[in-house]
Amino acid sequence: MSEIVHIAELTNLEKGRSLTQDAFLRLRKNKMAMFGLYFLLFLILVALLTPWIAPYSYEEQNLELGASPPSARHWMGTDILGRDQLTRIMYGSRISLMVGFIATAVALTIGVLWGAIAGFFGGRTDAIMMRIVDALYALPFTIFIILLTVVFGSSMLLLFLAIGAVEWLTMARIVRGQVLSIKKQEFIEAAISMGLPPSRIIAHHLIPNVLGPVIVYTTLTIPSVILLESFLSFLGLGIQPPASSWGSLISGGVEVMEEYPWLLAFPGVVLTITLFSLNFLGDGLRDALDPKSSRD
Amino acid sequence: MLLFIIKRILQAIPVLLLVATATFFMVRAAPGGPFDKDRSIPPEVITQLNKRYHLDDPLWKQYVDYMGNLLQGDFGPSFKYASHSVTELIAAGFPATLELSLYAILFALLVGLPAGMLAAVKWNTSLDYVPMSVAMIGICMPTFVLGPILLLVFGIWFGWLPVAGWGQVPGDKILPSITLGSVYAAYIARISRGGMLEVLSQDYIRTAKAKGLSTARIVFVHALRGGITPVISFLGPALAGLLAGSFVVESIFNIPGLGRFYVTAAFNRDYTMILGCTIFFAFLIILFNLLADIIQVWLNPKLRQELEARG
Amino acid sequence: MNAETLLSIENLRVVFNTRNGQTIAVNNVSFSLRKGEVLGIVGESGSGKSVACYSLLGLIPAPPGNIESGRALFNGKDLLTLTEKEMRRIRANHIAMIFQDPMTCLNPYMRIVDQLTEVLLVHKSMNQQQARAKAIEALIEVGIHNAAERIDQYPHQFSGGMRQRVMIAMALLAEPELLIADEPTTALDVTVQAQILKLIKDLQQRRQLTVIFITHDLGVAAQMADRILVMEKGNLIEQGDTNSVFKNPSQPYTKKLLGAVLTTSKPVSSHAIDYQNKPLLEVKNLQVSFTQSTGAFFRKIKYLVKGVDDVSIKIHSGEILGLVGESGSGKSTLGRSIIRLVDSHAGEIIFDGKEIVTANGEDLKTARRHFQMIFQDPYASLNPRMTVFDTLAEPLIVHGLATKTNVLEQVNQLMDDVGLDRRFIRKYPHEFSGGQRQRIAIARAIALKPKLIIADEPVSALDVTIRAQILALLLTLTQKHRLTMLFISHDMSVVRYLCDRVVVMQKGRLVEEGTTEELFSAPKQPYTQQLLEAIPELDQHFRETGSVKI
Repeated sequence: MSEIVHIAELTNLEKGRSLTQDAFLRLRKNKMAMFGLYFLLFLILVALLTPWIAPYSYEEQNLELGASPPSARHWMGTDILGRDQLTRIMYGSRISLMVGFIATAVALTIGVLWGAIAGFFGGRTDAIMMRIVDALYALPFTIFIILLTVVFGSSMLLLFLAIGAVEWLTMARIVRGQVLSIKKQEFIEAAISMGLPPSRIIAHHLIPNVLGPVIVYTTLTIPSVILLESFLSFLGLGIQPPASSWGSLISGGVEVMEEYPWLLAFPGVVLTITLFSLNFLGDGLRDALDPKSSRD
Repeated sequence: MLLFIIKRILQAIPVLLLVATATFFMVRAAPGGPFDKDRSIPPEVITQLNKRYHLDDPLWKQYVDYMGNLLQGDFGPSFKYASHSVTELIAAGFPATLELSLYAILFALLVGLPAGMLAAVKWNTSLDYVPMSVAMIGICMPTFVLGPILLLVFGIWFGWLPVAGWGQVPGDKILPSITLGSVYAAYIARISRGGMLEVLSQDYIRTAKAKGLSTARIVFVHALRGGITPVISFLGPALAGLLAGSFVVESIFNIPGLGRFYVTAAFNRDYTMILGCTIFFAFLIILFNLLADIIQVWLNPKLRQELEARG
Repeated sequence: MNAETLLSIENLRVVFNTRNGQTIAVNNVSFSLRKGEVLGIVGESGSGKSVACYSLLGLIPAPPGNIESGRALFNGKDLLTLTEKEMRRIRANHIAMIFQDPMTCLNPYMRIVDQLTEVLLVHKSMNQQQARAKAIEALIEVGIHNAAERIDQYPHQFSGGMRQRVMIAMALLAEPELLIADEPTTALDVTVQAQILKLIKDLQQRRQLTVIFITHDLGVAAQMADRILVMEKGNLIEQGDTNSVFKNPSQPYTKKLLGAVLTTSKPVSSHAIDYQNKPLLEVKNLQVSFTQSTGAFFRKIKYLVKGVDDVSIKIHSGEILGLVGESGSGKSTLGRSIIRLVDSHAGEIIFDGKEIVTANGEDLKTARRHFQMIFQDPYASLNPRMTVFDTLAEPLIVHGLATKTNVLEQVNQLMDDVGLDRRFIRKYPHEFSGGQRQRIAIARAIALKPKLIIADEPVSALDVTIRAQILALLLTLTQKHRLTMLFISHDMSVVRYLCDRVVVMQKGRLVEEGTTEELFSAPKQPYTQQLLEAIPELDQHFRETGSVKI
């Protein structure tokens, strides 16, 4: 009987719209951010399916053809060894995106844990942990990464760790700041004063409210990681042949750009558009999640 | 104020020592010595070389010696360029790098600040959208893509500007400076726009308007100081980034600067050079951050007064 | 046009075009202003009272704001048709403004002297020295001591009240004909408010100023204005002489506003409070201190600031104890330390016979079940990511007062109790108005049937009519559920309306305590007297007329 009453009552309810739903609606109205999102999804799909959909195999050379401009058979032309550039860019996207995502995941894990612990416990713990972050900030990290790759030889794993180790600092700062500001909010005090257990307060009240900025910053970290990897590869210190990332393709393109400009143009454009998409998506997410910041 | 500066310098010293120590041991932990690559060198010569560079001493002694020399500003001899000390090499390469970085940051400020301020004052109009879209492209266009493109277009196709060198042909400093500065121009434009928007929405700006002041006076006298604060705090990290960016630009435009020496040293495993450069770079970055902090405090009367009250 | 008329506004209509459509902020408002008159514009937030005045000086942000129609004749010139350059000659020179929050209205990066002289350098042909001399004179006139020295300081070296004095000096510097004061005392403590109001009144009389005084506080309006305009939702609904508007309001909304002014004291409780029995809560010699450090790095000095200094209070079951004080008096800290949101350093808190300063773990959890808190800001006190149902159900389930099957029933019951529609339980906090959100917060506080509720300024962020509703709700609920409450407030009239007994705090110390009647009729301490005198005098109008009931 009471069940029936409940259902009858529930159908009469006015459904609310949560902040997340609100944010998503706002994001959908932001054309550049949605372009970024779709392009990114497309890129991820292409990268995942590359071994099956690439027009040529990775090693396939055509020395007779040599470097040829874009044509019907080779949409993005070929390099000096007659390798199909589209194929190489597709394989390169696997590496660039993988570095981007994994290194960001490393940064995310360290940064969120570090920042959340410092922010939640506060006091002396916080002071010490943030002093360490401050000290690390003062270090010339790009140079450190170069040093690492020189000393230990460049490997993918090292790249992930090294780049992740650089990028977590800002994440830690953001998370700590957010935790501190949420912690001061009265709804947390209300939760404490209701006698809710700390685990519940963290899970239900703290984390959902800290998530927004973390998502935004994650989206903005991926492009800077991809950029850093490309930078290292460009200097010849990142991904080593025969593997290639966008950075090493660009590096190769620069050497021959006078004769074969398409070898610089295509990887350059793909990298730029990718960074563009991620940045626009990140900006869009920030505006959507924090409508005040977009100032309208 | 002076006390604050002294305090910050004292804080920087342990960080520098930490960098030096970490770098030293990391380099020593590398598999293979500096002379391993040169297969042509007979073993007895290597022993001699090791002796000459004190590589046969116990590690702790090498460390103590190195740190001792470091405190006197001596980075030791270069392993590769036997006739030169690292200090000499840094002194040879640094002026070009410093000049390049300064031009780049000057370009970035001259382009970025006005663009950002204009966008903020004309918020939500085409004078906001256009510069900000250009800035977004600037941020997404890596130096190592932009540099070659500029070089190709203006240097080779149009032939307007020299494509390589530093200070040899008139105008050869233009392309590298723009290449290096453009990303920072884009960042500064975005940051100064954000800072100005924040300040322009403050109550005291409304007060200034209600006083009948002109827009120019409101922007330059009332809003500017608060609005550029985030730009100032960005300058420290930006200069650090510029140094790293100079590696790429120096290699693209063939500039004999410190960045190129560093990358070359990295390939050659010239350990003392890497060690010296890393410490030197760390020193520069700490110095820039310190300067940025000081300017920031100096611009903010409340902070300044608190410091004076303590000092 | 009457020769004496300084400003005449005809059919002013201002709209805001936002993404979610058009809002009419000011709807065909007409009024005029005689020279030397003080006009009070009264209304709640969103009534358009500020927008109407800001649009006179071209200070509304456009876009999204747009003045659609109307004229504003000032000395015969239409302000709304002026070019930006002509308008600048008017601002400060002919019409000056002072704003609500003196803490944010002065430029923190500039010395006071530069901000003051700027007005003269721009509008009057004066040199730096003359301007400085005049600025010092102006500061002396508004009651700033050592003006010649203090003029070279920065705003942060002044207190809130002093900054408002500087703002007033700045506004009057170019000798404008009209002063628009937008809620100039709302952000200030009550005793400071009284001083600033007196200052404005004195200056107005001395200089024969014409003033538009915008306020939400009818008491302040009654004290300051010769004539009153009442605005609601962009419409001018009533105007007339202050006396006639307050004595014979013609519009229902005006009556509602007047009804919201609390002039009555609490009716004697239907149930007698047993003061003989042991008190429900006893705080003995409580001390709460904060560490602050100054000094740089070589000689860092840490010292204790006493937030609550040796305070003892008792709350008996069923009573509402008012805790009154200005900002910095330690009243909130005391409230929070009882509920252990803040740790105390010395003293005892005995609740229902149990010591809770040392309680932890399970004891603390149980104790907290019996205490609940209502906060000031209904926008910050609810988790923005939880529906009303989740917010209300959470404490019930965690404390085992409801099961999955009957929790909905209990939540619905709570919604009824606080006067919210049951159909809204799946909505999120941001979809409610401030008053509704405070109702949700109250529902959450009473959900656990607590023995003691600590309410920290629960109505000070609300509009007057909403405030009256929430206070009435609190009164009903305390009687219905026989609640005991510690009611923290800076507002003496609210305390008189709600509380059985009152404790006055100043600078961390307990100054005076007594029953509401005793304290209001015969305050013993000078500080309490000051607080009482600072209550704006609207009730005098009511004493004559016999008041409007809520």
